[in-house]
Amino acid sequence: MQLLLSSVCMALTSAVIGFAYYQKQQFYPAVVYITKSNASMGVIYIQFFVIVFMFGKLLSKIFLGTLRAAEFEHLLERFWYALTETCLAFTVFRDDFNPRFVAMFTVLLFLKSFHWLAEERVDFMERSPVLGWLFHIRVGSLLTMLGILDYVLLIHAYNSTLVRGPTVQMVFGFEYAILLTVIASTAIKYVLHAAEMRTDTPWENKAVFLLYTELVIGLIKVVLYLLFVVIMAKIYALPMFVFRPMFFTLRNFRKALNDLRQSDNICIICREDMVNHSKKLPCGHIFHTTCLRSWFQRQQTCPTCRLNILRTPTANSTAMPRQADEAVAAAAGNQIPGAAGVQPAGGVPPPSPVAAVDGNQAQANGNVAGVQAVPPNFADLFGDATGLPNGLPNLAGLQIPPPPVMPMLSPFMMPPHFGYLTPLPPPPIPQDLTNFTDEELRAMEGHQRDHIVQRLKLLQNINLMLDSAGIMMSQYQSLAARLQLTAATPASATNGSAGSSVYDMPSTSATAMAQLEAHQVTPTAAASAASPTMPTEKVTIEDLGADADEDDIPSTANEAVSIPNSDADFEENSSELGELRKRRLKFLEERNKSVAANERTTAE
Amino acid sequence: MAGSALRRLMAEYKQLTLDPPEGIVAGPISEDNFFEWEALIAGPEGTCFEGGVFPARLVFPTDYPLSPPKMKFTCDMFHPNIFADGRVCISILHAPGDDPMGYELSAERWSPVQSVEKILLSVVSMLAEPNDESGANVDAAIMWREQRDEFNAIARRLVRKTLGLPP
Repeated sequence: MQLLLSSVCMALTSAVIGFAYYQKQQFYPAVVYITKSNASMGVIYIQFFVIVFMFGKLLSKIFLGTLRAAEFEHLLERFWYALTETCLAFTVFRDDFNPRFVAMFTVLLFLKSFHWLAEERVDFMERSPVLGWLFHIRVGSLLTMLGILDYVLLIHAYNSTLVRGPTVQMVFGFEYAILLTVIASTAIKYVLHAAEMRTDTPWENKAVFLLYTELVIGLIKVVLYLLFVVIMAKIYALPMFVFRPMFFTLRNFRKALNDLRQSDNICIICREDMVNHSKKLPCGHIFHTTCLRSWFQRQQTCPTCRLNILRTPTANSTAMPRQADEAVAAAAGNQIPGAAGVQPAGGVPPPSPVAAVDGNQAQANGNVAGVQAVPPNFADLFGDATGLPNGLPNLAGLQIPPPPVMPMLSPFMMPPHFGYLTPLPPPPIPQDLTNFTDEELRAMEGHQRDHIVQRLKLLQNINLMLDSAGIMMSQYQSLAARLQLTAATPASATNGSAGSSVYDMPSTSATAMAQLEAHQVTPTAAASAASPTMPTEKVTIEDLGADADEDDIPSTANEAVSIPNSDADFEENSSELGELRKRRLKFLEERNKSVAANERTTAE
Repeated sequence: MAGSALRRLMAEYKQLTLDPPEGIVAGPISEDNFFEWEALIAGPEGTCFEGGVFPARLVFPTDYPLSPPKMKFTCDMFHPNIFADGRVCISILHAPGDDPMGYELSAERWSPVQSVEKILLSVVSMLAEPNDESGANVDAAIMWREQRDEFNAIARRLVRKTLGLPP
């Protein structure tokens, strides 16, 4: 079709020119003859447009390759709109209507089409998986060329307006200024997309940059349009032909503004505003507390980046545990039994009442502050811990993770009516045994009597904590039963256990996050647990070597059934501990049978 | 719970209507029940499904968005990742806990930040690039791997069928 049209056009043009030559025989008379005849000029004009069209095709082949169907469709649509607007513009400037004017509008339309195509191409970048260097060369050169052309034409229009006063050149100057902003935003988008493509990981902040780009460019455009309308209305008439693009620009700008306002405080789980009750995870993602809580009943990962909030050492924890770690690392090589003195997580002391009060205070503050939670006062607790004698020197050599302080989550874990709960320092969880050589491990083992005594004490403390966790659970359950809030809540549905119903603080997440929250146990519960089931006599080496957790602490075992989420973590920790114990026991049995036997009798 | 699911679905519906992604139409079948949606997916350009419009049904659980919806094509489909009954086997629709095939990374699974739009976009890219390692439809997977021409011919027949054209 296009071929047919252009060949017909070619034939007509050559017929016109040939006829003129045939008539006049000479160059100048022939030219005069053609320009005098309207029909001939019409043919020549049409030929001119056909040539422009073909040139455009050629350029798009060079710079863009084949157009996709969607691109072509959009181009056509926008082209028709632009054409109508140009016709409207002609009505305003009917006095200056001449071929030069038409030619300039043609050039403008021509350039506009390429701007649209470049924009589409760059938008397409985001969706296309693989792009070769050819694409980058094409887009880069196209953008540069369009930018230079816009700039040159803008300067030309500006100068001619200065020299000759306000003419139609003003419209062109304005149009090229708008096109320049388009090319600028396209170029910025291109750079952002290309930067994202260079890395394999998606770049999360890109959307923010894109939004700001859109905002700034939108603002510039709006100002330009308003200026233009005001100037045009003063000098000529109201410029009808810019109303449509102006309307779209305004709409886009308003949308970008809305996005900016909403992007910061929309909870992506429920898609609603986060006015209050929001929670920031260690990875920086913010959600509604309630949404986050119900998700954590399923899985303890960040919904956005899937950071496992139970496993990762806190990124925002204070420097205190880190220093302790370094001290531990320093002590690891030369095995100083006294190193446990500065070792915060070495033992599990019952916190002093003062510390408990402090902790309570911190919790209360956290609840009041909402988002900006005050970290629980662990320093005090650790201060107590270091003062107590039951730190384990040989454990000091093992890399003990910084206690999982999750300050941001603490108020959410601790609703006001559980304010009397105070977190205890977590039991030491040895990690990365593989990082040590055999000699180091052996050195850490220690085989003196007091080492073993302290080991036993540690294990007793663990046992005690598990017991107290069980008591805490039963407290929750009794409270929930008293409040008689059951059934309809999803947590009980997922748990499938009638006992652990959900009040404000679901029992599942309570225990699942006990770890995350640095094992909160009520001091009262701990005390009450300690007095009746004080396992000092009960725990023997055999017990510990075997599955101490399952046998000795029925309450925890019961819970594990009702807490599908948390029991995996619990089990892993206990299996880790169990493995350690077994290794120790093996070692002890081989090397130090007499001491072990001695210990057993004394322990019993 | 169902209330928040409903609000979220309404928000997603609004978003999809105001700013629809290319080649995707989705919405509740009736405004009375927001938990059952119908979606129309255009076959991606440049693939054997190009030109087709495939209807599918999405059923949302009451605890959406904590659990993923279920998606089922209501037209005949022949694709390595679509079961013979139309169910879609795609990692984004699987809850993190269960792993029916044992090959998926948990990073690709459902999370509450996913949305209907993302599911449907994933399905479009699944149509474009089947994953022949998870054979929901083993015949289709084998044919896709070994007899691509035949697979393309079947796909084109399906496209014509969805459009109501004679094969």
